[in-house]
Amino acid sequence: MTIILDNLSVDFDEHFQLQHLNWEVQSGQHWVISGGNGAGKSALIAALTGTGNIISGQLQGLPERIGVVSFAAQEALINQERQKDDADILDVISIGTPVRNIIFDDCLDPQTAQKMITKFALDYLLDRAFRKLSTGESRKVMLVRALSCKPQLLLLDEPFEGLDIDTFALLQDYLQELALQVPMIMVLNRFDEIPAFITHIAYMEQGQLLHQIDKQDTEAYNNLYQLLHLKTTELSVPACDPLSSIPKLDPSQPLVRLTDLTIKYDEFVLIDKLNWTIEPNQHWQLSGPNGAGKTAVLSIITGDHPQCYNNDILVFGFQRGQGESIWQIKQFIGYVSTALQWEYRVQISLRNVIISGFYDSIGLYSKASDRQKSIADQWLALLGMSDRADQPFQKLSYGDQRLLLIARAMVKHPPLLILDEPCLGLDDINRQLVLALIEKICAGSETAVIYVNHHTQDKIAGIENYLALAKD
Amino acid sequence: MSNNYFNTLPLREQLAQLAKCRFMNMDEFADGVNALKGKKMVVIGCGAQGLNQGLNLRDSGLDVSYALRAEAIAEKRQSWKNATENGFAVGTYEDLIPTADVVLNLTPDKQHTAVVNAVMPMMKEGACLSYSHGFNIVEEGMQVRDDLTVIMVAPKCPGSEVRAEYVRGFGVPTLIAVHEDNDPKGEGLALAKAYAVGTGGHKAGVLMSSFIAEVKSDLMGEQTILCGMLQTGSLLCFDKMVAEGVDAGYASKLIQYGWETITEALKYGGVTNMLDRLSNPAKIKAFDLSEELKVIMRPLYNKHQDDIMNGTFSRVMMEDWANDDKNLLGWRAETAETAFEKTPAGDMDIAEQEYFDNGILMVAMVKAGVELAFETMTAAGIIDESAYYESLHETPLIANTIARKKLYEMNATISDTAEYGCYLYNHACLPLLGDFMKDIKTDVIGRGLDLDDTGVDNARLIEVNAALRAHPVEAIGTTLRGHMADMKKIV
Repeated sequence: MTIILDNLSVDFDEHFQLQHLNWEVQSGQHWVISGGNGAGKSALIAALTGTGNIISGQLQGLPERIGVVSFAAQEALINQERQKDDADILDVISIGTPVRNIIFDDCLDPQTAQKMITKFALDYLLDRAFRKLSTGESRKVMLVRALSCKPQLLLLDEPFEGLDIDTFALLQDYLQELALQVPMIMVLNRFDEIPAFITHIAYMEQGQLLHQIDKQDTEAYNNLYQLLHLKTTELSVPACDPLSSIPKLDPSQPLVRLTDLTIKYDEFVLIDKLNWTIEPNQHWQLSGPNGAGKTAVLSIITGDHPQCYNNDILVFGFQRGQGESIWQIKQFIGYVSTALQWEYRVQISLRNVIISGFYDSIGLYSKASDRQKSIADQWLALLGMSDRADQPFQKLSYGDQRLLLIARAMVKHPPLLILDEPCLGLDDINRQLVLALIEKICAGSETAVIYVNHHTQDKIAGIENYLALAKD
Repeated sequence: MSNNYFNTLPLREQLAQLAKCRFMNMDEFADGVNALKGKKMVVIGCGAQGLNQGLNLRDSGLDVSYALRAEAIAEKRQSWKNATENGFAVGTYEDLIPTADVVLNLTPDKQHTAVVNAVMPMMKEGACLSYSHGFNIVEEGMQVRDDLTVIMVAPKCPGSEVRAEYVRGFGVPTLIAVHEDNDPKGEGLALAKAYAVGTGGHKAGVLMSSFIAEVKSDLMGEQTILCGMLQTGSLLCFDKMVAEGVDAGYASKLIQYGWETITEALKYGGVTNMLDRLSNPAKIKAFDLSEELKVIMRPLYNKHQDDIMNGTFSRVMMEDWANDDKNLLGWRAETAETAFEKTPAGDMDIAEQEYFDNGILMVAMVKAGVELAFETMTAAGIIDESAYYESLHETPLIANTIARKKLYEMNATISDTAEYGCYLYNHACLPLLGDFMKDIKTDVIGRGLDLDDTGVDNARLIEVNAALRAHPVEAIGTTLRGHMADMKKIV
């Protein structure tokens, strides 16, 4: 059996579409479909059961008997039962269809059905009306139905939702056995619930299949896990530390004011009389071709460029070159760039990388307070890296390092966050991870963001000011 | 010719000055850079130390500019470029020196006399003259005007590291001193501390020492264990491996990166930890070899220390300065022609542990060199703290420069003074170890012990472990690394 979705687009009511799905499910494979709310996971299951209008592309190779468990199917059955009740014109109280009939009418495999009933200890409700069951009970009944239709394919949409721990374990075991014979596609949003037999994981967003990975690929698996975590977690950006908070700025003053900024090397003029003012809470996108001087301008602001001392630069209330130290400037800035990642070559744990953001240092050279440690742990939880808190930073994947450095930049809630091509060098999934984190940050803080990026598709919601630098 | 200042002092004063070295507490730097705030600091010399210290000081909020010779400005020499591209104000000595509150002399040792003689008459009354090395004062007997304060702030790392660590938010260990003959206002210590804060040194640890202790220990360390031993060891180990049929590319790589790898263990846990990285039989082997090496090399270490103490070394070197560096340049050219230098490292992988297992002799050489340098220095009156920093502590830094670009890079990075001493050591040590090397086989350098049986005699192992841990360099090392770890979380 091979199910093939070839550039399939399916239209549903309420203006939802599955778009251009390309996917192959081969025999011997078991898939989990993951994704945030509204990503289209259940729609995909529905499309496989024949719901929705195919507007283009092809869907081939579906077997004849498909066992389905989903809230949609459950709801449909309950509605059907309710209607029977409404349709009852006799003046007697309708008890609705008993569970026994729901299970055994049209059952192809009564033996299995009986086995499942015993397993789930459902005997006691066989004579009750299906529509009177609790959600968990009716879910178990749906499972029994799906498993006893001699299925050639099982479509399970959040099959473990609403199950108590014992039943969850029973079902996991049973599916494990069944997986030897029947291919399965299940929607799951908790990676810790993924059964051992699953071979592949797909990730959906906005009606599209964005990633399909082999579960054996540990790195891809971890990335997907984190992406899903960031998309679905209800955690928000941790608070800053009141004890290591940065001085208050005058809100009527700009954060940054560059007046006639000129950067030159020998006779070569890189930046010629640039004027730029950044107000508090104002987000900017900075663009320009390679060599236009984007990073040089940013490093003038951060104080890393030596020519900041020969220009008229006001940053965070300091007119540069009047006896301020760079640490007085840097305390107001969170900064992430590829160069920073290259320079962050010290032996340090993940937790301490985040804490180093309180000190604007590469490496940690101060004793961290318990409060700082706790804030760092909250960030790790947000990133889905809690279990790796004490691991060495250098052992992390490139994309995970980037995420961590973004958290480091934000840990003190700086008035200005500079993201210099934060997606540079990242593959697709890591790019999405970074963008997901940045969106989370932009949504929940009073930080002005300067975002440098060439990729127009990496736009971030909420940026309304643009500065484009030209070359020469 | 100059008068050696050290030799003019009575013995008790010599001993008192040599014994000065104290690890300072962080709270002694609570005043930050205030003592220098608003003062005009003028740097002379825009090389690696000059430029990078200036960048740090300016980023710490201090007023820094560079005085260059008129020709350097007119011809837009590298020093002029370094300063102007980094946005510093640049002027001639005549322009800047008379306005300076502090003049930072960051030129190479051999220019000190000329530079100080040129600037001293222009300096304003009561200003401060700062050095990064005490050679000019101690060995050349420079007499500085009575009204001037003379201090030393010596970051114990190459200039590039001084900057890199500062940018990370840290610093490099730094030695400070006040020349007591030139502290008319008693502000020398406050200025030196503020300067150390300005370069970030206070975060990594500051040693309060004396000009004399700095010079005599610095010269000893750099000539013997730091540069000399690693140079001689590299040449001997390479030639031996190749003669015994080890692949030349492998031999070259094992040495080039081996020093760095094994001394990394030294940095973290002293000689003990470096030997603990070996298997038990290899550890006992390395211990025995190092004991043998110490007996053979001790007279050489004594000679170096004696020549440094009585001024012979600096006198002979200054004769070469006067002779246009004929010896130095000749020896430098010879180094470039050695077989080790000319054989590129192979592209095979060598695992971290393999550097230990196949480099037992290198481990033995480091142990012997560190212990001998430490023992010789402390026997000459240098206090343990100074002796530790100038032997064990700096060895990994030099090993790191060899890993980057072999001996040539190492000699290019260190000062001419260190380089001169390194060649003297090497020329004496190569023949001295000739007989010893005859008995060396690839089991201790190149291929590792043939370990059919990893068993060792318990009593002997206990003896070796006890001897390792009982060496005085380990005691002071444990204490000082404890201070450092408080400041820099190493793990």
